[in-house]
Amino acid sequence: MTRVPITAIGVVAPGAIGIDAFRDFLKAGATAIQVVDRFDTAGLRSHQAALVRDFIPRDFIALMKLRRMNMLSRYALSAARLALRDGGVEQLDAATGVAMGTAFGPVQTSVDYMQEYVERGAALAPPQLFAESVANAPGSHIAIELGLRGFNVTLTQRESSALSAAMYAASQIVKGNVRTAVIGGVEEVNEMIFSVLDRLRALGEASHPFDRCRSGLILGEGGAVFLAGETPGQRYGFLSGFGMARDTTATVSDWGEDPNAVVAAMRSAIDDAALEPRDIDAIYASANSTRRADRLEYLALQSLFGDAVPPVVATKGYFGEYAAGGGLQLAAALVALRDQALHPSSGFEQGDESMRIAVNREYRPATLRHILVNSISAGGGVVCAVLSA
Amino acid sequence: MRKPDLNTRLAVTGAGIICSIGRNQGEVWQSICESRAGIGKLTRFPGETFPTDIAAEVIGEIGPMLPIGKREARRLSRTDLLAVVAAREAIEQANDGAKSPLPVARAIVSTGTSTGGLLEGEEYYFKRLVVGRRRAPASRVLQQPTSGPSDAVARVFKLGGGVVSNATACASAGAAIGMAADYLRSHHADVAIAGGSDALCRLTYSGFNVLQAVDPSPCTPFAADRKGITLGEGAAYLVLERWDDAVARGATILAELGGYGASCDAHHATAPAEDGRGAEAAMRGALSESGATSVDYINAHGTGTLLNDSAETKAIISAVGTATPVSSSKSYFGHTLGASGGIEAVISILALLHQTAPPTLRLETPAADCPLDYIAHTPRPMPLRSVLSNTFGFGGSNVSLLFRRV
Repeated sequence: MTRVPITAIGVVAPGAIGIDAFRDFLKAGATAIQVVDRFDTAGLRSHQAALVRDFIPRDFIALMKLRRMNMLSRYALSAARLALRDGGVEQLDAATGVAMGTAFGPVQTSVDYMQEYVERGAALAPPQLFAESVANAPGSHIAIELGLRGFNVTLTQRESSALSAAMYAASQIVKGNVRTAVIGGVEEVNEMIFSVLDRLRALGEASHPFDRCRSGLILGEGGAVFLAGETPGQRYGFLSGFGMARDTTATVSDWGEDPNAVVAAMRSAIDDAALEPRDIDAIYASANSTRRADRLEYLALQSLFGDAVPPVVATKGYFGEYAAGGGLQLAAALVALRDQALHPSSGFEQGDESMRIAVNREYRPATLRHILVNSISAGGGVVCAVLSA
Repeated sequence: MRKPDLNTRLAVTGAGIICSIGRNQGEVWQSICESRAGIGKLTRFPGETFPTDIAAEVIGEIGPMLPIGKREARRLSRTDLLAVVAAREAIEQANDGAKSPLPVARAIVSTGTSTGGLLEGEEYYFKRLVVGRRRAPASRVLQQPTSGPSDAVARVFKLGGGVVSNATACASAGAAIGMAADYLRSHHADVAIAGGSDALCRLTYSGFNVLQAVDPSPCTPFAADRKGITLGEGAAYLVLERWDDAVARGATILAELGGYGASCDAHHATAPAEDGRGAEAAMRGALSESGATSVDYINAHGTGTLLNDSAETKAIISAVGTATPVSSSKSYFGHTLGASGGIEAVISILALLHQTAPPTLRLETPAADCPLDYIAHTPRPMPLRSVLSNTFGFGGSNVSLLFRRV
C-alpha cells in the first residue's frame, strides 16, 4: 500500500459534535469563534476563542471512567467513538496503532496539579491528576478502551502536531508494520495558555486569515480522530504524501521569514505523492491570521506555483488555531475531498492587496483529485500533506 | 507515499550524552567502568518538602558547554539546554574525521521528552501566584512546549530538514529514534539527530512520590527489596544516517541500528501489564525488524518498581529466553523519564564499542520473580555483537531498539 485510506472521522469540534454536523458547519461558512466565557479575560487584549460547546462526555464515556480523564482525554476518546460510529466499526484489529498530536498538551492538568501541590503539599497532590499530566494520556485511553496494542505515540509539534501524527501513522501502514491506525489530535483552550499568548500579543481580536485586517491568531480546541488503513467505512480520501522542513530563520517561539522552508516541505509532500505541483487542485492553508505566518505562506505558494496557485481555503476562521492539535484542518480537507466541494474561508473579508491569491469565499463544487494541506509552526517546523481522492 | 525500506541499513555516526554520571561519552563510560553512581541529595528545589530527598541531578553549570551566548540560552528551558549539549557532542563526533560534513539542509531533529519546559512553567506559575498574571514574565512559559528541544537543537545547529517532537511519557526518546529510523528509510530525511531530553521538575518529583513509586534510597532494579525509582535528568542524541551515505561521507560508524519495535499494553494509565505482553511485543518487533532471533545483552528499562521489573523479566523470558545477560543502567543515573530511551541507547552503543556490558549497581539479591542473568556491581567484559535497549512508559507505550556492532 502506498496510499493510506481514511475511512472514518470523528470530531468534537467548536461548532459541531460529529462529522455530519461538522460538514454542515463548514458548508455554512459560519464561525465558532465567540467571546470566552470559560474563564475571565478581563484586562487582556483578546476575548475570543473557538470553544467546544454542547459536548456531553457521558454520551461517550462511562461515568466511572470519566472521573479519571482530563478534558483532552475526554475529547480524544469521544472523537474516537464518533469515528467508530462514522465507520460503522464495532471493534478495531487489536494490532492497530495509535498516533495522536497535541500542541500544548495537558497544561490545564499541570496547573490543577500545581494548585493542589501548593494548597495540600507536594506529598498530597492527587495521583490521578499526575497520571493525566502526561501528553500521551489521551492516546493511552483510546488504546485501553478500544484494546489497541500496536504502536502508541503522541506527537507534539505545535501547530503541526496532528499532521505529524498522520505522517508517522501512515508511514507505519505503508511499511506494513500495522494494517490499521487511529490518527488524531486534541487541544484544550485554558486560561494559562490564553493569557500567556495574549500577553505576548500573539492573539488577535478576530480571525481573518490572509486578510489585510488580520491581527493575530484565535485559539481553538477539540478532538479529531481518523481511522486509517484497512478499516471498514466510507472512503474520505487517501493520505498520499508528506513532506517536512524547518525554517532556519525561525526562533524557538515564532514563525520565521524564509518561505523556502515552506516551499521545500510542500515540494517534498508532492514528490512523496509522485505528483507535480500542477496536479494540486486546492490548498487547505495553514493561514492562522497572524501577519507573519500568512505572509510567509503566501510567498511560499507564489514561489512554488507561480501564477497558477490553486484555490486556497483558510479554515482557521471557523475553529481557530491549534483546533484538535491541527486535526480539524485535516478533517475539513478530507470532507472537501469526499464531497468534491470547496469550503468558504470563514473570516476572509477584504483580502490583502499585497497577497494576490484566490482565497475561496463560497461553498462550491469542484473537481478535487489532490489537496495540499499546509501546517507552519511557530518554532519553524513545517509539515505538509497531500490528500488524494 | 514512499515506504520505509527495511533493507536500508542505518548507521550511528555520532552520540552525545549528559546525565548525572557524566557530561560526555568519556565521562559517562568512566563512571560506568568505576561502578560510580550519580545519585545524591536533591538540591534543585530548595525549600520544597517531598517524601523522598534523593535524585540523579546534572550538577554544575551547563552554560560553558553551550555553543550559544547567554542571551539566547536564557530563552531556552533547562530541557532544551541539556538537549543542545548532547546534540553538540553527537554532531561533532559525526563530523570528526569525515570527508564531508553532515548535510544540514535535509537533517531532521527527532526528540522525545516527557516534561519539556515544565520546570520553567512551574516557576512562572509560582511567580503568577505572587504578582498576578499581568506582571508575571510570560516569556518564560514560551519555553514550556515539548517541541522546545527539537526546535532548539535545529535552530542552534541550523538544521533544515524538519522537526519531529513526541511526548510519549518515558518511551519518548525510544520512539523518537524509531521515527527517525523510518524517515531515513523512506528518504523523508537524509540525516537524523534523534534522542531525548528531560530536566527534573517539581511536578514529576512530587507525582512519582504521590504514586509511591520512588525509592527513598538509590534504586535497586530487579532486587528482592526494590522499592521504586530514583528520578534523574539528562539528554542524549544519536546521529543516524543511511549506511551508504555515512560510508560515502567517510564518517566513522559507531554501530548499526538494526531495527525497533513499538507496542502498547492497552492495560492501565500508569501500571504495566503484569504479564509483560506489551514489552514482549516491542522486543519481538525489534528482533524481527533486525532479522535477529537473539541478542547478546539487554539494557533493560529496569526502573526498580515492583511491577515493571517483574513484567519486563517475564517479557524477556518470553522473547529471548533466560540466557541473555540483563542489566539496568538506571542504577547509575536514575530514571531520566522522556530522555531515558536516548541515554540508554548511548549506553548500549558504548557497551558495543567497549565490548563490555554495564552492571546493575547495588543488586545484592535478585527478586524471586526476576530469575535472569543480571549483571551486578561491576561491568562484564564479553563479546557483544548486538544489544537490545528497552524503554517503556506511562499509558503502556513500549519501544525496543536493537543495535549491532560494526
